[in-house]
Amino acid sequence: MIKISVNGEMKEVQENLNIQALLKTLNYTKEGFALAVNTSFIAIKNYSITIIKEGDKIDILAPVQGG
Amino acid sequence: MWEIGGKKLNSRLLIGSALYPSPANMEEAIKVSGSQIVTVALRRQSAGEGSGGNFWKIIKSLGIEVLPNTAGCHSAKEAVTTAQMAREVFGTNWIKLEVIGDQYNLQPDPFETVKSAEILIKEGFEVFPYTTDDLVVAKRLADVGCKIIMPWGSMIGSGKGLMNKDNLIAIRKQFPELKLIIDAGIGKPSDATQAMELGYDGVLLNSAIALAQDPIKMADAFRLAIESGRLGYQAGVMQKREFASPSTPTVGTPFWHQFD
Repeated sequence: MIKISVNGEMKEVQENLNIQALLKTLNYTKEGFALAVNTSFIAIKNYSITIIKEGDKIDILAPVQGG
Repeated sequence: MWEIGGKKLNSRLLIGSALYPSPANMEEAIKVSGSQIVTVALRRQSAGEGSGGNFWKIIKSLGIEVLPNTAGCHSAKEAVTTAQMAREVFGTNWIKLEVIGDQYNLQPDPFETVKSAEILIKEGFEVFPYTTDDLVVAKRLADVGCKIIMPWGSMIGSGKGLMNKDNLIAIRKQFPELKLIIDAGIGKPSDATQAMELGYDGVLLNSAIALAQDPIKMADAFRLAIESGRLGYQAGVMQKREFASPSTPTVGTPFWHQFD
C-alpha cells in the first residue's frame, strides 16, 4: 500500500495503480471532472498510462459557480 | 453585433454565476441580463457528486458561451494547470486568467499573469486576462499575444466602480485594436455605463447583480445600462466647456435688457 493525497485528504491505496484504476477504487464513476497529479494536468487519454506513486497529490475538480 | 474570441455576439455584458440566492434565481438573472457569456469555475469534487451536479446542467441548458476562470490560483503553474483542466471539462479554449498576488485586495499578480498568459496562448487558449489598470502590464500582455485585456474597475466584489478612470482611458487610447473588458469592482448600473462610455468593449460583473436585493431586476438594469453606455460612446459625447451656454435661443428673449 502507498499513501497519497486526494483533494487534500490522505488515502491509502494499492501500489502500481494507474489513474483509471485509482478512480474506480475511489468511486469516481461519474464523468465531468478533470484531474491533476502534483499540480500537473493529466488528460483523460493518459489515465491508463499514468501510475500513481507514494506521496502523489491528486486534485479532482468539477464545475462550480464562478465570477 | 461585436466579436470577441472568434464569436459574434450581441450582448456586451459578461456575467458571473456565483453568489445568487438560489440556482433558479441565477438562471433567471442570466437570462434577463441578455448576456451571452457566463463565467464558471472548477473546485475539488468528492466521489459520487458527479460533474458539478445541477449547476452545470443549468449552465449548459442556457446555450450561451462559457468562460471558465482560474480563480484562486497564485502562480503561473497553478493557473496553467487549471486552464488545461477547464478546457477538458468545459470543452472550450477560452480562459479567464486570474492569478492573485495579494489575498487582502485580490489584486492580480502581474508577473505571474503575463507568464501564464504567454504559456496559454502558445497552447492555443483564448486568454481573457484579469489585470489592474496598469498600462505597462497591459502592454506586456499584448506583447505576449493577448487580444483581450480585462483591467479592473476596482477590487473584486467591492462595488466601488471605476477607481481610476484616467488609467482606463490611457489603456483604451493605447490599444484601440484590443478587446477591452472592465472586470471587477462594478457596483451599480451607472458604473457599467461609464465603462462603456470610455469606449470599453464590454463589462464583466457578478456581485453587482447577484448581491442586489432583486438580482433579476438588477440584471435587467445592467443590460440597459451597458447598451446605453455603448450607444452614448458611439454617439460621441459633447465637449465640456468652462462657461455657461444657454440652450434656449436668446433671440426674442422677452423683457430683454442690455446689462449696464
